[in-house]
Amino acid sequence: MSHIRKCLDRIHPYFARGGPYEKFYALYEMVDTFLYTPADVTRNAPHVRDAIDLKRVMSYVVVATLPCIFMALWNTGYQANMAMAALDIDSVPGWRGWILDGLNVGHDPQSLYANCVHGLLYFLPLYIVTIVVGGLWEVLFAAVRNHEVNEGFLVTSMLFTLTLPPDIPLWMVALGISFGVVIGKEVFGGTGKNFLNPALTGRAFLFFAYPAEMSGDAVWTAVDGFSGATPLGLAALGGVEAITGSGVTLMQSFLGSIQGSIGSTSTLACLFGAVFLIYTRIASFRIIFGVFLGMFFMSSFFNLVGSDTNPMFGMPWYWHLSLGGFAFGMVYMATDPVSAAMTNMGRWIFGGLIGVMTVLIRVVNPAFPEGIMLAILFANIFAPLIDYFVVQVDIARRKRGYARAG
Amino acid sequence: MTRTLHRFSGGLHLDTHKHESRDVPSMLVPLPGQIILPLKQHIGLAARPLVNPGERVLKGQIIAEPEGYVSVPVHATTSGVVRDIGDYHIPHPFGIREPCIVIDADGLDELFPIEAVTDYAALTPQALQEIIRDRGIAGLGGAGFPAHVKLKEGVDNAVDTLIINGVECEPYITCDDRLIREKAMYVVSGARMIRHAVNAKHCVIAVEEDMPEAHDALAGHITAHDDIELVRVPTRYPAGGEKQLIQVLTGKEVPSGGFSINIGIIVHNVATAAAVYRAVTRGEPLISRYVTVTGEVKTPRNLQVLLGTPVSDCLKLCGYEDSNDTRIIVGGPMMGTQVRDCNIPVTKTTNCIIVRRKIPPIQELPCIRCGRCADVCPVNLLPQQLYLYAKADRFDETRQHHLFDCIECGCCSCVCPSHIPLVQYYRYAKFEIALEEQRRQGATRAEQRFLNRKRRLQQRQEVKQKQKAGSTTTATESGDTDADRKAFVRAAVARTRSRKERGTDR
Repeated sequence: MSHIRKCLDRIHPYFARGGPYEKFYALYEMVDTFLYTPADVTRNAPHVRDAIDLKRVMSYVVVATLPCIFMALWNTGYQANMAMAALDIDSVPGWRGWILDGLNVGHDPQSLYANCVHGLLYFLPLYIVTIVVGGLWEVLFAAVRNHEVNEGFLVTSMLFTLTLPPDIPLWMVALGISFGVVIGKEVFGGTGKNFLNPALTGRAFLFFAYPAEMSGDAVWTAVDGFSGATPLGLAALGGVEAITGSGVTLMQSFLGSIQGSIGSTSTLACLFGAVFLIYTRIASFRIIFGVFLGMFFMSSFFNLVGSDTNPMFGMPWYWHLSLGGFAFGMVYMATDPVSAAMTNMGRWIFGGLIGVMTVLIRVVNPAFPEGIMLAILFANIFAPLIDYFVVQVDIARRKRGYARAG
Repeated sequence: MTRTLHRFSGGLHLDTHKHESRDVPSMLVPLPGQIILPLKQHIGLAARPLVNPGERVLKGQIIAEPEGYVSVPVHATTSGVVRDIGDYHIPHPFGIREPCIVIDADGLDELFPIEAVTDYAALTPQALQEIIRDRGIAGLGGAGFPAHVKLKEGVDNAVDTLIINGVECEPYITCDDRLIREKAMYVVSGARMIRHAVNAKHCVIAVEEDMPEAHDALAGHITAHDDIELVRVPTRYPAGGEKQLIQVLTGKEVPSGGFSINIGIIVHNVATAAAVYRAVTRGEPLISRYVTVTGEVKTPRNLQVLLGTPVSDCLKLCGYEDSNDTRIIVGGPMMGTQVRDCNIPVTKTTNCIIVRRKIPPIQELPCIRCGRCADVCPVNLLPQQLYLYAKADRFDETRQHHLFDCIECGCCSCVCPSHIPLVQYYRYAKFEIALEEQRRQGATRAEQRFLNRKRRLQQRQEVKQKQKAGSTTTATESGDTDADRKAFVRAAVARTRSRKERGTDR
């Protein structure tokens, strides 16, 4: 390690102010601070500080997604291997097959190792493209704007990757993350100034620009020729019966061994992440519970109302929770502090709005089987308004207080 | 007697760092060679010097008198000769200079004759107030609010509760703890006197939970018929802030923009109470105080320091060696200020001197609106919103969000994961608003002046016109003839002649 440190110190003058590569200081700084935590303390009062800092906040979120990453590896491989077994295919075409055969991994859906390696071959290209393309934009903006690359990007790229279908073409991934980073974040001034969640912005762009590759039956399993709708897609047609009819149990959907986006199928993995994020106080528990309560409320409401023509009305809350990207969105996406509401009361309302909107979109709108993405973006836009009203109410209450006191 | 304690929202559990200095007995600092006494060691107007350079002064003599109501006199803290009255460095983050009186100590420490009061109960509140003012007592907790003003408020308004504040919530500082342990009797007696002066229904002395020795020392001096409650307050920063302490003890909140007296409460620091006791029963003015010296020094401890003693003397006494990689903080680590050189004097508000390692300046990262600052804010503000407005110079909005309720405790800056120096932004905004206010006042004054001048000119014009009208009439009446003019010239010539003659006579 000390070798890298020495190397970084040696090249520092080239990147410092006045050096020949001054423009690329952001890049240098990014490498430097990613490898080494700066030992900075404040000069002015207060002279003591909490141990937590922005870099650690961001790395904690990445750590919190680890269960989901694991599920992304395993489940993608598992689904692919299952499909191969069903279709009686015994080798994967292209470079993946070459690697799989070379390593002699096999295609046994019962083998943890085989599934994970198979999944890795799908996850890794997506992630690398996301990091490289998104990173290029980040560095470009950082160099032009003269600020440093923020660790927030690592979070964005990880979350973006985990919400993609495994079979998506890589150029689309590049396009999506570019849109997310540039339009979703940088044009508004970079980290902290965006009002939409950049990862979701990128995904929403892909969803509307290339619906064929982002939805439907063919994209959710990484095997050519295999077609299978997500349970949520089935539910839109026939309700819970359609899901159970296809052989998917509630437990399966809770654990995440179902078809879906690469890393957001497992509710259990998301709950692990939620516990970690709430324990470290990185994510606001108010938002998470707000989303849950909103969903619970709205789905129970629909259950009570009932409908003869729309089978989704009858879907109970626990299916809503475990299906699709609900848990993932609730834990990782809605809690992005930058685009969420910032007042404590506002966070409850913000979360509740997401929960209600998710169920509303899922149940009432047949065009979109998945609602959480749009619900979060919708609530992002309303977050400043929610905050505004919460603050006005607070100010008014304080005023009444003075009137009494004085 | 138990009092149900309440909670203020927000706040922090900080690493207290008190053990370094709390258990070492305090030490008297030897007489320095030179004493520098700032004319303004309190909130309000600076005192006006009464002595001239070269004059000999005695210990305890008033050398500057208060200017206006919210002001206190300055006393010589030792005998010697006034060397200079001019601008010297004071404890201030910008290293600014303010008017000070410099005394060359003669080493005799000769006392100015002082008169003591034996029975405070016989004094009227007004008389007691005068004594306290004449002895130069300003709040010793940190803000330095003149004590007599608070007393007067207490006399003028009905006081429900008098709180004697021994809650030293900032890390590192132990001067009040030490003072209570060594001079508990002074504190209790001072509390009795202040209570007598303001006629408070209840009297509470509050200390922190982690000050058991101080609590016991005080308990030993409170007698049954005193009816003084001794309360231990949970350790949480900033529980020692006036408004927070009131909230903890009574559950009441001081209204925004108001003072504690608005809800029938006055708060004095324990050190102030002790100073009141000494002023009243012994006639001693406020010329020394307890100061904690801690941090990167060999022997962290508390010192009893004569006001005006250079900070460097205190540091040397605790084994501090001047080096380039340390920095000096005057005040606590949360609210204190880093000073540029240590040849500044200890003043009435200097409670702590901390030596810490130097660190490279911090990098400020973008705000991610995580809301930690709002969670810890003890006055329920929205720090990040204030920060955004202050940064964008939108001062009207900062006022709307109650910037002036901010007590600058530093909790928000402490927890900010992006290391944003939030308090600095608030100070900046407050400063700019005050400046704007001044400008506005200046503008109104200028406008008034302009209007006055216009009126004056108009009046003059009118008078001239009247005169003109008058003179034309008189001229025609008297007849402005050649004969008149000749007579006038003759008279003038005669006058000159007579003057010349008188001149030659001499």
